[in-house]
Amino acid sequence: MEKMTEEQVKSIANMLRKRSLWMIHYCTGCGAMELPPTMTSRYDMERFGLAPYVTSRQADILLITGYLNVKTLRRVITVYEQMLDPKYVIGFGSCTLNGGVYWDSYAVIKQLDRYIPADLYIAGCMPRPEAVISAFRHLMELIDSGKADGYKRYKRNLAYYKENQRKVLG
Amino acid sequence: MMDIVDKIKGIEGAKVTVQRENRVFVDVSEDKLISTLYDMKLIGFHQLSVQNVIDRIKDNKFEIFYVLYSREYKINAIVRTWIDRENPVIKTADKIYPSAHTWEREISEMFGIKVDGNEDSGKPFILENWKDLPPMRKDFDSVKYSSEHFVFRHSEGENE
Repeated sequence: MEKMTEEQVKSIANMLRKRSLWMIHYCTGCGAMELPPTMTSRYDMERFGLAPYVTSRQADILLITGYLNVKTLRRVITVYEQMLDPKYVIGFGSCTLNGGVYWDSYAVIKQLDRYIPADLYIAGCMPRPEAVISAFRHLMELIDSGKADGYKRYKRNLAYYKENQRKVLG
Repeated sequence: MMDIVDKIKGIEGAKVTVQRENRVFVDVSEDKLISTLYDMKLIGFHQLSVQNVIDRIKDNKFEIFYVLYSREYKINAIVRTWIDRENPVIKTADKIYPSAHTWEREISEMFGIKVDGNEDSGKPFILENWKDLPPMRKDFDSVKYSSEHFVFRHSEGENE
């Protein structure tokens, strides 16, 4: 039998990886409200192989629902660094994109991807469960094609991310 | 309701306004504040619902208010006092209402008001590494602070 190339092994790994994703959801804001219907029987995300999980060590996806302020960003970074590779980050709602309605707040950081690499954003305030499911489907495509490489970018540009983190966290 | 209002009016130094049914304002001077709270508890206001501050920047004053509730009479009483904005100090009420202890930690952080007798009042409570003006003061410019510390996204795509 012919030996598989590294490329082929990677593509098989990615194909299997995308079908079994465990998600830790960091519910800082109001976005958490949309997750129960997404998880439970109405929209049932488990049919795509996605499951909510409670610890960061076993999770693959970090879903950040809603705004992040200086205090919660510190915890998010801890959770993100505890997760094992490969790991993917989804920013949920307009607050993680550009601050949303809290753009002028003294505490809310406005761009998630300056501090940890985001693979995907779900725009909207609030994104409906349909949007969440479609984001997961999109993430699966990205994983399959090898484009969801946030964790690699984090390692490559660690100095950039750490400098930004230091600026706001002190 | 009127008998409880009469009882409040009996407290020395209290200026009582009945705003509507079940809501009474009790205005006192700064030095009578703690004794008034004590008397209010004695006549039946056992619960401190909220203690907070309003920044009256036009009058150069902080308005400190305590929302008290009486289960017996089903009535809210709001005890108010005004202190100077420069070097603001109030006395603690946590011996009378224990929940005031936490409220005072919050107002000392958010408004920079020193609380005499509350040993936790200067300690960090909600904010982390805060070095600017206390953020709930009216002269604190939130937009300016936000634009100085956090970068706004102007264009599409990631900033890399």
